[in-house]
Amino acid sequence: MKRFIQHEELARDSRFVRQDNRQSTLLAALPDDVDKVVDAFEQFSDMIEASVKGTAAEPLFEAYGPAFALTVLNEPLDPDAPAGTTRLLLRMHGIFVGEVQALEGSARSLWDFPDAPWEFKMNMARQAWDEARHVQIFEKLLTHLGGEVGMFPESTFLFECACSKDPAMRVAGVNRGLEGLACDVFRDMIRYAEKTGDEKMRQAIDYVLADELTHVRFGSEWVYEFTKDDPEYLERTREYRRTVDKQFSFGGARSDREDAAIPIAWEDRLEAGFTEEELEDLASISSSGPSRKTLVEAARILRERHLAKRAPSKQPETTEAGR
Amino acid sequence: MSETRLYPGMSRDEKTSFAPYSAFDIPADLRELSGRYDVEAMARRCRNFRYAEEWLMMMLGGWVATIPELPVKTGLGKVIWETAQAADALGRRLPELRCGRVVVDASESANAGFAAFIQSVSEPERPDLTIEKLAGPFDVLMPHLVDVYEETMRETDQICDAPTIELLDDIVRKRRRHIRWGREVLDRLCETDALRERRRVRVEGLNAELVRSGGVTGTLSEERGVLN
Ligand SMILES: [Fe+2]
Ligand SMILES: [Fe+2]
Repeated sequence: MKRFIQHEELARDSRFVRQDNRQSTLLAALPDDVDKVVDAFEQFSDMIEASVKGTAAEPLFEAYGPAFALTVLNEPLDPDAPAGTTRLLLRMHGIFVGEVQALEGSARSLWDFPDAPWEFKMNMARQAWDEARHVQIFEKLLTHLGGEVGMFPESTFLFECACSKDPAMRVAGVNRGLEGLACDVFRDMIRYAEKTGDEKMRQAIDYVLADELTHVRFGSEWVYEFTKDDPEYLERTREYRRTVDKQFSFGGARSDREDAAIPIAWEDRLEAGFTEEELEDLASISSSGPSRKTLVEAARILRERHLAKRAPSKQPETTEAGR
Repeated sequence: MSETRLYPGMSRDEKTSFAPYSAFDIPADLRELSGRYDVEAMARRCRNFRYAEEWLMMMLGGWVATIPELPVKTGLGKVIWETAQAADALGRRLPELRCGRVVVDASESANAGFAAFIQSVSEPERPDLTIEKLAGPFDVLMPHLVDVYEETMRETDQICDAPTIELLDDIVRKRRRHIRWGREVLDRLCETDALRERRRVRVEGLNAELVRSGGVTGTLSEERGVLN
Protein backbone atom coordinates (compact mmCIF):
# COMPACT_ATOMS: atom_id res chain seq x y z
CA MET A 1 0.00 0.00 0.00
CA LYS A 2 1.46 3.34 -1.00
CA ARG A 3 1.93 6.30 1.34
CA PHE A 4 -0.27 9.37 0.74
CA ILE A 5 -3.46 9.32 -1.28
CA GLN A 6 -5.38 11.99 -3.15
CA HIS A 7 -8.83 13.06 -2.05
CA GLU A 8 -10.26 11.49 -5.24
CA GLU A 9 -9.16 8.11 -3.87
CA LEU A 10 -11.40 8.24 -0.79
CA ALA A 11 -13.61 5.19 -1.25
CA ARG A 12 -17.38 5.39 -0.77
CA ASP A 13 -20.29 2.96 -0.99
CA SER A 14 -23.05 3.26 -3.57
CA ARG A 15 -25.15 5.71 -1.53
CA PHE A 16 -22.65 8.56 -1.83
CA VAL A 17 -22.56 11.25 -4.54
CA ARG A 18 -19.30 13.17 -5.08
CA GLN A 19 -19.21 16.91 -5.68
CA ASP A 20 -16.45 18.90 -7.38
CA ASN A 21 -14.35 20.50 -4.62
CA ARG A 22 -14.05 23.78 -6.53
CA GLN A 23 -17.60 24.54 -5.39
CA SER A 24 -16.57 24.44 -1.75
CA THR A 25 -13.43 26.50 -2.19
CA LEU A 26 -15.25 29.06 -4.37
CA LEU A 27 -16.53 31.03 -1.39
CA ALA A 28 -13.13 31.32 0.26
CA ALA A 29 -11.74 33.36 -2.63
CA LEU A 30 -14.63 35.75 -3.23
CA PRO A 31 -14.19 39.51 -2.73
CA ASP A 32 -16.81 41.81 -1.19
CA ASP A 33 -18.25 42.64 -4.60
CA VAL A 34 -21.78 41.71 -5.74
CA ASP A 35 -20.92 41.47 -9.46
CA LYS A 36 -17.89 39.26 -8.85
CA VAL A 37 -19.90 36.93 -6.60
CA VAL A 38 -22.63 36.68 -9.26
CA ASP A 39 -20.07 36.00 -12.01
CA ALA A 40 -18.35 33.29 -10.00
CA PHE A 41 -21.57 31.41 -9.26
CA GLU A 42 -22.82 31.70 -12.85
CA GLN A 43 -19.54 30.27 -14.06
CA PHE A 44 -20.03 27.17 -11.90
CA SER A 45 -23.79 26.93 -12.40
CA ASP A 46 -23.79 23.87 -14.69
CA MET A 47 -21.37 22.02 -12.45
CA ILE A 48 -23.43 22.81 -9.35
CA GLU A 49 -26.64 21.73 -11.08
CA ALA A 50 -25.07 18.44 -12.18
CA SER A 51 -23.81 17.68 -8.69
CA VAL A 52 -27.20 18.14 -6.99
CA LYS A 53 -29.15 16.17 -9.60
CA GLY A 54 -31.16 13.44 -7.93
CA THR A 55 -30.19 14.52 -4.42
CA ALA A 56 -32.24 16.33 -1.79
CA ALA A 57 -30.46 19.55 -2.76
CA GLU A 58 -32.14 19.57 -6.17
CA PRO A 59 -35.27 21.40 -4.90
CA LEU A 60 -33.00 24.02 -3.32
CA PHE A 61 -31.25 24.51 -6.64
CA GLU A 62 -34.59 24.76 -8.41
CA ALA A 63 -35.81 27.37 -5.96
CA TYR A 64 -32.67 29.48 -5.50
CA GLY A 65 -30.41 28.70 -8.45
CA PRO A 66 -26.67 28.08 -8.25
CA ALA A 67 -26.25 30.28 -5.17
CA PHE A 68 -28.52 28.12 -3.01
CA ALA A 69 -25.50 27.35 -0.84
CA LEU A 70 -25.33 31.02 0.12
CA THR A 71 -28.77 30.75 1.65
CA VAL A 72 -27.65 27.74 3.65
CA LEU A 73 -24.13 28.56 4.70
CA ASN A 74 -24.54 32.25 5.25
CA GLU A 75 -27.74 32.27 7.22
CA PRO A 76 -27.90 31.10 10.82
CA LEU A 77 -29.96 27.91 11.17
CA ASP A 78 -33.54 28.73 12.03
CA PRO A 79 -36.18 26.02 12.45
CA ASP A 80 -38.92 28.44 11.32
CA ALA A 81 -37.14 29.76 8.22
CA PRO A 82 -38.22 28.69 4.72
CA ALA A 83 -36.79 25.26 3.90
CA GLY A 84 -35.53 25.11 7.51
CA THR A 85 -35.57 21.31 7.60
CA THR A 86 -33.75 20.92 4.30
CA ARG A 87 -31.11 23.39 5.40
CA LEU A 88 -30.66 21.62 8.74
CA LEU A 89 -30.27 18.29 6.95
CA LEU A 90 -27.82 19.80 4.48
CA ARG A 91 -25.68 21.00 7.35
CA MET A 92 -25.97 17.70 9.24
CA HIS A 93 -25.02 15.79 6.11
CA GLY A 94 -22.03 18.09 5.65
CA ILE A 95 -20.96 17.36 9.23
CA PHE A 96 -21.47 13.63 8.68
CA VAL A 97 -19.19 13.51 5.60
CA GLY A 98 -16.74 15.78 7.46
CA GLU A 99 -16.54 13.14 10.20
CA VAL A 100 -15.94 10.42 7.60
CA GLN A 101 -13.04 12.46 6.23
CA ALA A 102 -11.69 13.21 9.72
CA LEU A 103 -11.72 9.43 10.36
CA GLU A 104 -9.87 8.86 7.11
CA GLY A 105 -7.40 11.68 7.76
CA SER A 106 -6.45 10.55 11.27
CA ALA A 107 -6.30 6.85 10.36
CA ARG A 108 -4.27 7.64 7.28
CA SER A 109 -1.67 9.45 9.45
CA LEU A 110 -0.85 6.05 10.97
CA TRP A 111 0.18 4.69 7.59
CA ASP A 112 1.58 7.84 6.01
CA PHE A 113 4.07 8.58 8.81
CA PRO A 114 5.53 5.21 9.88
CA ASP A 115 8.53 6.82 11.58
CA ALA A 116 6.52 9.26 13.70
CA PRO A 117 6.94 9.05 17.51
CA TRP A 118 4.94 6.33 19.22
CA GLU A 119 2.85 8.77 21.26
CA PHE A 120 1.79 10.46 18.02
CA LYS A 121 0.58 7.12 16.67
CA MET A 122 -1.31 6.48 19.90
CA ASN A 123 -3.05 9.86 19.60
CA MET A 124 -3.97 9.25 15.95
CA ALA A 125 -5.23 5.75 16.72
CA ARG A 126 -7.42 7.11 19.50
CA GLN A 127 -8.69 9.85 17.21
CA ALA A 128 -9.52 7.28 14.53
CA TRP A 129 -11.77 5.45 16.98
CA ASP A 130 -13.38 8.70 18.14
CA GLU A 131 -14.07 9.82 14.56
CA ALA A 132 -15.49 6.38 13.75
CA ARG A 133 -17.96 6.87 16.62
CA HIS A 134 -18.71 10.38 15.37
CA VAL A 135 -19.58 8.98 11.95
CA GLN A 136 -22.00 6.57 13.62
CA ILE A 137 -23.44 9.33 15.83
CA PHE A 138 -24.10 11.69 12.93
CA GLU A 139 -25.50 8.91 10.77
CA LYS A 140 -27.99 8.25 13.59
CA LEU A 141 -28.73 11.94 14.08
CA LEU A 142 -29.30 12.32 10.36
CA THR A 143 -31.88 9.53 10.51
CA HIS A 144 -33.35 11.03 13.71
CA LEU A 145 -33.97 14.28 11.79
CA GLY A 146 -35.53 12.49 8.81
CA GLY A 147 -32.51 12.41 6.53
CA GLU A 148 -30.28 9.69 5.12
CA VAL A 149 -26.73 9.05 3.98
CA GLY A 150 -26.14 10.20 0.41
CA MET A 151 -29.12 12.56 0.26
CA PHE A 152 -26.73 15.43 -0.60
CA PRO A 153 -23.52 15.38 -2.59
CA GLU A 154 -20.25 15.10 -0.68
CA SER A 155 -17.38 17.49 -1.12
CA THR A 156 -14.03 16.01 -0.08
CA PHE A 157 -12.39 19.41 0.18
CA LEU A 158 -11.83 19.04 3.94
CA PHE A 159 -9.53 16.10 3.26
CA GLU A 160 -8.00 17.82 0.24
CA CYS A 161 -7.19 21.02 2.15
CA ALA A 162 -6.09 19.49 5.43
CA CYS A 163 -4.17 16.33 4.50
CA SER A 164 -0.64 17.54 3.90
CA LYS A 165 2.28 15.18 3.28
CA ASP A 166 4.22 16.86 6.06
CA PRO A 167 3.36 15.55 9.56
CA ALA A 168 3.44 18.97 11.28
CA MET A 169 1.25 20.46 8.57
CA ARG A 170 -1.06 17.43 8.63
CA VAL A 171 -1.79 17.94 12.32
CA ALA A 172 -1.99 21.70 11.83
CA GLY A 173 -4.50 21.25 8.99
CA VAL A 174 -6.54 18.33 10.36
CA ASN A 175 -6.27 18.76 14.13
CA ARG A 176 -6.26 22.53 14.38
CA GLY A 177 -7.94 23.68 11.13
CA LEU A 178 -10.56 21.00 10.56
CA GLU A 179 -11.12 20.10 14.21
CA GLY A 180 -11.24 23.77 15.15
CA LEU A 181 -13.99 24.27 12.58
CA ALA A 182 -15.75 21.25 14.11
CA CYS A 183 -15.69 22.99 17.53
CA ASP A 184 -17.36 26.09 16.02
CA VAL A 185 -20.00 24.07 14.16
CA PHE A 186 -20.80 21.78 17.08
CA ARG A 187 -21.17 24.62 19.56
CA ASP A 188 -23.61 26.17 17.08
CA MET A 189 -25.51 22.89 16.69
CA ILE A 190 -25.78 22.49 20.47
CA ARG A 191 -27.33 25.99 20.63
CA TYR A 192 -29.74 24.99 17.85
CA ALA A 193 -30.71 21.77 19.66
CA GLU A 194 -31.31 23.71 22.87
CA LYS A 195 -33.54 26.08 20.97
CA THR A 196 -35.61 23.29 19.44
CA GLY A 197 -35.63 21.21 22.65
CA ASP A 198 -33.97 18.26 20.91
CA GLU A 199 -32.31 16.62 23.91
CA LYS A 200 -31.07 13.59 21.95
CA MET A 201 -29.18 15.81 19.53
CA ARG A 202 -27.92 18.18 22.23
CA GLN A 203 -26.45 15.46 24.39
CA ALA A 204 -24.87 13.51 21.52
CA ILE A 205 -23.16 16.58 20.06
CA ASP A 206 -22.07 17.69 23.53
CA TYR A 207 -20.08 14.43 23.78
CA VAL A 208 -18.73 14.82 20.26
CA LEU A 209 -17.55 18.35 21.06
CA ALA A 210 -15.69 17.04 24.11
CA ASP A 211 -13.85 14.58 21.86
CA GLU A 212 -13.02 17.30 19.34
CA LEU A 213 -11.40 19.43 22.02
CA THR A 214 -9.11 16.51 22.75
CA HIS A 215 -8.26 16.23 19.05
CA VAL A 216 -7.40 19.93 18.82
CA ARG A 217 -5.19 19.45 21.87
CA PHE A 218 -3.38 16.58 20.09
CA GLY A 219 -2.79 19.00 17.20
CA SER A 220 -1.59 21.84 19.40
CA GLU A 221 0.93 19.58 21.14
CA TRP A 222 2.25 17.86 18.02
CA VAL A 223 2.68 21.01 15.97
CA TYR A 224 5.03 22.30 18.67
CA GLU A 225 6.75 18.96 19.07
CA PHE A 226 7.37 18.43 15.34
CA THR A 227 8.65 21.98 14.83
CA LYS A 228 10.63 22.45 18.04
CA ASP A 229 14.06 24.01 17.50
CA ASP A 230 12.97 25.19 14.04
CA PRO A 231 11.09 28.50 14.22
CA GLU A 232 10.99 28.81 10.42
CA TYR A 233 9.25 25.42 10.14
CA LEU A 234 6.79 26.44 12.87
CA GLU A 235 6.04 29.62 10.92
CA ARG A 236 5.41 27.68 7.69
CA THR A 237 3.10 25.36 9.60
CA ARG A 238 1.21 28.36 10.98
CA GLU A 239 0.90 29.83 7.50
CA TYR A 240 -0.47 26.53 6.25
CA ARG A 241 -3.09 26.44 9.00
CA ARG A 242 -4.07 30.03 8.22
CA THR A 243 -4.68 29.04 4.59
CA VAL A 244 -6.78 26.08 5.74
CA ASP A 245 -8.67 28.34 8.16
CA LYS A 246 -9.38 30.78 5.36
CA GLN A 247 -10.79 27.95 3.20
CA PHE A 248 -12.86 26.65 6.11
CA SER A 249 -14.39 30.06 6.79
CA PHE A 250 -16.58 29.87 3.66
CA GLY A 251 -16.20 33.56 2.92
CA GLY A 252 -17.06 34.65 6.46
CA ALA A 253 -19.92 32.24 7.13
CA ARG A 254 -17.76 30.85 9.94
CA SER A 255 -16.28 33.95 11.56
CA ASP A 256 -16.58 36.39 14.41
CA ARG A 257 -18.66 38.79 12.35
CA GLU A 258 -22.02 39.77 13.69
CA ASP A 259 -23.70 38.31 10.60
CA ALA A 260 -21.84 34.97 10.80
CA ALA A 261 -23.89 31.79 10.43
CA ILE A 262 -21.34 29.89 12.52
CA PRO A 263 -19.61 31.98 15.21
CA ILE A 264 -16.11 31.08 16.39
CA ALA A 265 -16.36 29.03 19.60
CA TRP A 266 -13.83 31.08 21.61
CA GLU A 267 -14.28 29.38 24.97
CA ASP A 268 -14.06 25.87 23.55
CA ARG A 269 -11.05 26.75 21.41
CA LEU A 270 -9.21 28.30 24.35
CA GLU A 271 -9.82 25.16 26.37
CA ALA A 272 -8.44 23.13 23.46
CA GLY A 273 -5.14 24.98 23.42
CA PHE A 274 -5.61 27.83 20.94
CA THR A 275 -4.09 31.06 22.23
CA GLU A 276 -5.94 34.40 22.39
CA GLU A 277 -3.50 35.66 19.76
CA GLU A 278 -4.30 32.78 17.40
CA LEU A 279 -8.01 33.38 17.84
CA GLU A 280 -7.66 37.10 17.12
CA ASP A 281 -5.80 36.07 13.98
CA LEU A 282 -8.52 33.57 13.04
CA ALA A 283 -11.18 36.23 13.55
CA SER A 284 -9.43 38.55 11.14
CA ILE A 285 -8.68 35.86 8.50
CA SER A 286 -12.22 34.51 8.53
CA SER A 287 -14.10 37.78 8.42
CA SER A 288 -12.47 39.16 5.29
CA GLY A 289 -14.90 37.63 2.76
CA PRO A 290 -17.95 39.27 1.23
CA SER A 291 -20.38 40.82 3.70
CA ARG A 292 -23.74 39.25 4.28
CA LYS A 293 -25.35 42.20 2.50
CA THR A 294 -23.25 41.48 -0.59
CA LEU A 295 -24.13 37.80 -0.52
CA VAL A 296 -27.83 38.41 -0.01
CA GLU A 297 -27.86 40.81 -2.94
CA ALA A 298 -25.85 38.41 -5.13
CA ALA A 299 -28.16 35.54 -4.15
CA ARG A 300 -31.20 37.67 -5.08
CA ILE A 301 -29.80 38.48 -8.54
CA LEU A 302 -28.76 34.88 -9.15
CA ARG A 303 -32.18 33.62 -8.09
CA GLU A 304 -33.97 36.06 -10.38
CA ARG A 305 -31.82 35.12 -13.35
CA HIS A 306 -32.24 31.44 -12.59
CA LEU A 307 -36.04 31.69 -12.35
CA ALA A 308 -36.19 33.76 -15.53
CA LYS A 309 -34.27 31.00 -17.32
CA ARG A 310 -36.57 28.33 -15.88
CA ALA A 311 -39.88 30.14 -16.58
CA PRO A 312 -42.45 29.16 -17.52
CA SER A 313 -41.73 25.43 -17.47
CA LYS A 314 -40.74 25.17 -13.78
CA GLN A 315 -42.82 26.02 -10.75
CA PRO A 316 -40.30 26.33 -7.91
CA GLU A 317 -42.88 27.86 -5.58
CA THR A 318 -44.42 24.42 -5.16
CA THR A 319 -41.29 22.97 -3.57
CA GLU A 320 -40.67 23.14 0.13
CA ALA A 321 -37.59 25.22 -0.49
CA GLY A 322 -39.53 27.76 -2.54
CA ARG A 323 -42.14 28.44 0.06
CA MET B 1 4.86 -14.94 82.15
CA SER B 2 5.28 -15.11 78.38
CA GLU B 3 3.27 -12.89 76.00
CA THR B 4 2.15 -14.03 72.52
CA ARG B 5 4.60 -12.56 70.06
CA LEU B 6 3.04 -10.45 67.26
CA TYR B 7 6.23 -9.86 65.26
CA PRO B 8 9.19 -12.15 64.61
CA GLY B 9 12.36 -11.34 66.54
CA MET B 10 15.99 -11.65 65.59
CA SER B 11 16.75 -15.18 66.71
CA ARG B 12 15.23 -18.58 65.90
CA ASP B 13 13.56 -18.97 69.30
CA GLU B 14 11.78 -15.66 68.86
CA LYS B 15 9.50 -16.97 66.06
CA THR B 16 5.82 -16.01 66.36
CA SER B 17 3.24 -18.59 67.27
CA PHE B 18 1.03 -18.04 64.16
CA ALA B 19 0.41 -21.11 61.95
CA PRO B 20 0.78 -20.54 58.17
CA TYR B 21 -2.94 -20.95 57.44
CA SER B 22 -4.41 -20.34 60.82
CA ALA B 23 -7.56 -18.31 60.16
CA PHE B 24 -8.95 -20.14 57.14
CA ASP B 25 -8.23 -23.29 55.32
CA ILE B 26 -6.45 -21.54 52.44
CA PRO B 27 -5.28 -24.01 49.78
CA ALA B 28 -1.56 -23.86 49.17
CA ASP B 29 -0.25 -22.47 45.87
CA LEU B 30 0.94 -25.64 44.19
CA ARG B 31 2.37 -24.01 41.06
CA GLU B 32 5.95 -24.91 40.27
CA LEU B 33 8.52 -22.27 39.51
CA SER B 34 9.22 -23.17 35.95
CA GLY B 35 8.83 -21.52 32.58
CA ARG B 36 10.06 -22.04 29.08
CA TYR B 37 11.37 -18.49 28.59
CA ASP B 38 13.95 -16.57 30.59
CA VAL B 39 13.87 -12.76 30.90
CA GLU B 40 15.86 -12.20 27.73
CA ALA B 41 13.75 -14.60 25.68
CA MET B 42 10.51 -13.04 26.92
CA ALA B 43 11.79 -9.54 26.13
CA ARG B 44 12.53 -10.70 22.58
CA ARG B 45 9.04 -12.17 22.26
CA CYS B 46 7.48 -8.92 23.49
CA ARG B 47 9.46 -6.96 20.87
CA ASN B 48 8.32 -9.40 18.17
CA PHE B 49 4.69 -9.22 19.31
CA ARG B 50 4.88 -5.45 19.40
CA TYR B 51 6.17 -5.38 15.84
CA ALA B 52 3.12 -7.36 14.65
CA GLU B 53 0.66 -5.23 16.65
CA GLU B 54 2.18 -1.92 15.53
CA TRP B 55 2.13 -2.82 11.84
CA LEU B 56 -1.33 -4.29 12.12
CA MET B 57 -2.57 -0.99 13.59
CA MET B 58 -0.81 1.02 10.89
CA MET B 59 -2.11 -0.98 7.94
CA LEU B 60 -5.70 -0.97 9.23
CA GLY B 61 -5.33 2.81 9.54
CA GLY B 62 -4.13 3.02 5.95
CA TRP B 63 -7.10 1.03 4.66
CA VAL B 64 -9.87 3.02 6.31
CA ALA B 65 -9.78 5.58 3.48
CA THR B 66 -9.77 3.07 0.62
CA ILE B 67 -12.44 0.70 1.93
CA PRO B 68 -15.79 1.82 0.51
CA GLU B 69 -18.12 -0.02 2.90
CA LEU B 70 -19.06 2.48 5.63
CA PRO B 71 -19.71 -0.04 8.46
CA VAL B 72 -16.26 -1.53 7.80
CA LYS B 73 -14.64 1.91 7.99
CA THR B 74 -16.30 2.65 11.32
CA GLY B 75 -15.82 -0.87 12.71
CA LEU B 76 -12.08 -0.67 12.05
CA GLY B 77 -11.84 2.47 14.20
CA LYS B 78 -12.14 0.51 17.44
CA VAL B 79 -9.91 -2.32 16.23
CA ILE B 80 -7.22 0.25 15.41
CA TRP B 81 -7.39 1.81 18.88
CA GLU B 82 -7.35 -1.52 20.71
CA THR B 83 -4.46 -2.75 18.58
CA ALA B 84 -2.53 0.43 19.40
CA GLN B 85 -3.21 -0.20 23.08
CA ALA B 86 -1.93 -3.78 22.69
CA ALA B 87 1.32 -2.52 21.13
CA ASP B 88 1.59 0.08 23.86
CA ALA B 89 1.13 -2.45 26.68
CA LEU B 90 3.80 -4.72 25.15
CA GLY B 91 6.15 -1.74 24.87
CA ARG B 92 5.60 -0.83 28.51
CA ARG B 93 6.54 -4.36 29.55
CA LEU B 94 9.97 -4.06 27.90
CA PRO B 95 11.68 -1.84 30.50
CA GLU B 96 10.33 -4.24 33.13
CA LEU B 97 12.22 -7.00 31.34
CA ARG B 98 15.58 -5.27 31.74
CA CYS B 99 15.55 -3.62 28.29
CA GLY B 100 16.34 -0.15 29.59
CA ARG B 101 14.03 2.73 30.26
CA VAL B 102 13.79 4.15 26.77
CA VAL B 103 12.84 1.13 24.72
CA VAL B 104 9.06 1.17 25.12
CA ASP B 105 8.68 1.72 21.37
CA ALA B 106 11.16 -0.95 20.32
CA SER B 107 9.39 -3.16 17.83
CA GLU B 108 11.43 -5.81 16.13
CA SER B 109 10.59 -8.35 13.50
CA ALA B 110 11.78 -11.87 14.32
CA ASN B 111 13.34 -12.13 10.87
CA ALA B 112 13.19 -10.71 7.34
CA GLY B 113 10.64 -13.36 6.38
CA PHE B 114 8.07 -12.16 8.89
CA ALA B 115 8.67 -8.52 7.91
CA ALA B 116 8.05 -9.51 4.27
CA PHE B 117 4.89 -11.36 5.32
CA ILE B 118 3.61 -8.18 7.04
CA GLN B 119 4.27 -6.21 3.85
CA SER B 120 2.32 -8.82 1.86
CA VAL B 121 -0.64 -8.52 4.25
CA SER B 122 -0.62 -4.72 3.82
CA GLU B 123 -0.31 -4.79 0.04
CA PRO B 124 -3.93 -4.51 -1.25
CA GLU B 125 -4.76 -0.97 -2.24
CA ARG B 126 -7.75 -0.63 -4.60
CA PRO B 127 -11.27 -0.04 -3.25
CA ASP B 128 -12.56 -3.29 -4.79
CA LEU B 129 -10.17 -5.37 -2.68
CA THR B 130 -11.89 -5.25 0.73
CA ILE B 131 -11.94 -9.07 0.84
CA GLU B 132 -8.18 -9.30 0.23
CA LYS B 133 -7.55 -6.50 2.75
CA LEU B 134 -9.60 -8.05 5.57
CA ALA B 135 -8.69 -11.70 4.97
CA GLY B 136 -5.03 -10.99 5.80
CA PRO B 137 -5.50 -9.65 9.34
CA PHE B 138 -8.73 -11.40 10.34
CA ASP B 139 -8.25 -14.87 8.78
CA VAL B 140 -4.47 -15.23 9.04
CA LEU B 141 -2.48 -12.78 11.18
CA MET B 142 -4.82 -12.26 14.15
CA PRO B 143 -5.65 -15.98 14.64
CA HIS B 144 -1.92 -16.73 14.46
CA LEU B 145 -1.18 -14.09 17.11
CA VAL B 146 -3.91 -15.46 19.39
CA ASP B 147 -2.42 -18.97 19.11
CA VAL B 148 1.09 -17.78 19.88
CA TYR B 149 -0.03 -15.52 22.75
CA GLU B 150 -1.99 -18.38 24.31
CA GLU B 151 0.92 -20.73 24.00
CA THR B 152 3.19 -18.11 25.54
CA MET B 153 0.79 -17.62 28.46
CA ARG B 154 0.68 -21.39 29.05
CA GLU B 155 4.41 -21.95 28.86
CA THR B 156 5.94 -18.96 30.59
CA ASP B 157 6.54 -18.99 34.36
CA GLN B 158 3.13 -18.48 35.93
CA ILE B 159 4.45 -16.57 38.92
CA CYS B 160 7.66 -14.89 37.78
CA ASP B 161 6.21 -13.70 34.47
CA ALA B 162 2.62 -13.05 35.60
CA PRO B 163 2.64 -9.43 34.30
CA THR B 164 3.22 -10.68 30.73
CA ILE B 165 0.43 -13.23 31.16
CA GLU B 166 -1.95 -10.53 32.37
CA LEU B 167 -1.30 -8.23 29.43
CA LEU B 168 -1.49 -11.00 26.83
CA ASP B 169 -4.71 -12.26 28.41
CA ASP B 170 -6.21 -8.80 27.96
CA ILE B 171 -5.04 -8.59 24.34
CA VAL B 172 -6.36 -12.07 23.49
CA ARG B 173 -9.78 -11.31 24.95
CA LYS B 174 -10.19 -8.26 22.71
CA ARG B 175 -8.51 -9.90 19.75
CA ARG B 176 -11.08 -12.73 19.75
CA ARG B 177 -13.77 -10.07 19.48
CA HIS B 178 -11.95 -8.47 16.54
CA ILE B 179 -11.69 -11.82 14.77
CA ARG B 180 -15.39 -12.54 15.28
CA TRP B 181 -16.31 -9.14 13.84
CA GLY B 182 -13.90 -9.34 10.89
CA ARG B 183 -15.03 -12.83 9.93
CA GLU B 184 -18.66 -11.85 10.12
CA VAL B 185 -17.91 -8.97 7.74
CA LEU B 186 -15.97 -11.29 5.42
CA ASP B 187 -18.79 -13.86 5.44
CA ARG B 188 -21.21 -11.12 4.42
CA LEU B 189 -18.93 -9.78 1.71
CA CYS B 190 -18.19 -13.24 0.26
CA GLU B 191 -21.71 -14.01 -0.87
CA THR B 192 -20.90 -15.91 -4.08
CA ASP B 193 -18.63 -18.87 -4.80
CA ALA B 194 -16.32 -16.61 -6.81
CA LEU B 195 -15.93 -14.21 -3.87
CA ARG B 196 -15.44 -17.08 -1.42
CA GLU B 197 -12.73 -18.39 -3.73
CA ARG B 198 -10.97 -15.01 -3.64
CA ARG B 199 -10.91 -15.19 0.16
CA ARG B 200 -9.66 -18.79 0.12
CA VAL B 201 -6.85 -18.05 -2.31
CA ARG B 202 -5.73 -15.02 -0.31
CA VAL B 203 -5.73 -16.96 2.97
CA GLU B 204 -3.85 -19.89 1.44
CA GLY B 205 -1.14 -17.65 -0.04
CA LEU B 206 -0.58 -15.69 3.16
CA ASN B 207 -0.62 -18.79 5.35
CA ALA B 208 2.10 -20.37 3.25
CA GLU B 209 4.23 -17.22 3.60
CA LEU B 210 3.59 -17.11 7.35
CA VAL B 211 4.71 -20.73 7.76
CA ARG B 212 7.87 -20.09 5.71
CA SER B 213 8.75 -17.14 7.95
CA GLY B 214 8.40 -19.11 11.16
CA GLY B 215 5.60 -16.89 12.44
CA VAL B 216 5.73 -13.85 14.67
CA THR B 217 8.61 -15.23 16.77
CA GLY B 218 10.36 -16.83 13.80
CA THR B 219 10.89 -20.05 15.71
CA LEU B 220 7.61 -21.86 15.73
CA SER B 221 8.23 -24.33 12.96
CA GLU B 222 11.42 -25.53 14.65
CA GLU B 223 9.83 -25.69 18.06
CA ARG B 224 6.66 -27.44 17.11
CA GLY B 225 7.29 -28.94 13.72
CA VAL B 226 4.03 -27.47 12.48
CA LEU B 227 2.44 -24.08 12.61
CA ASN B 228 -1.03 -23.55 13.96
FE1 LIG C 1 -15.15 14.24 14.84
FE1 LIG D 1 -12.20 15.11 15.64
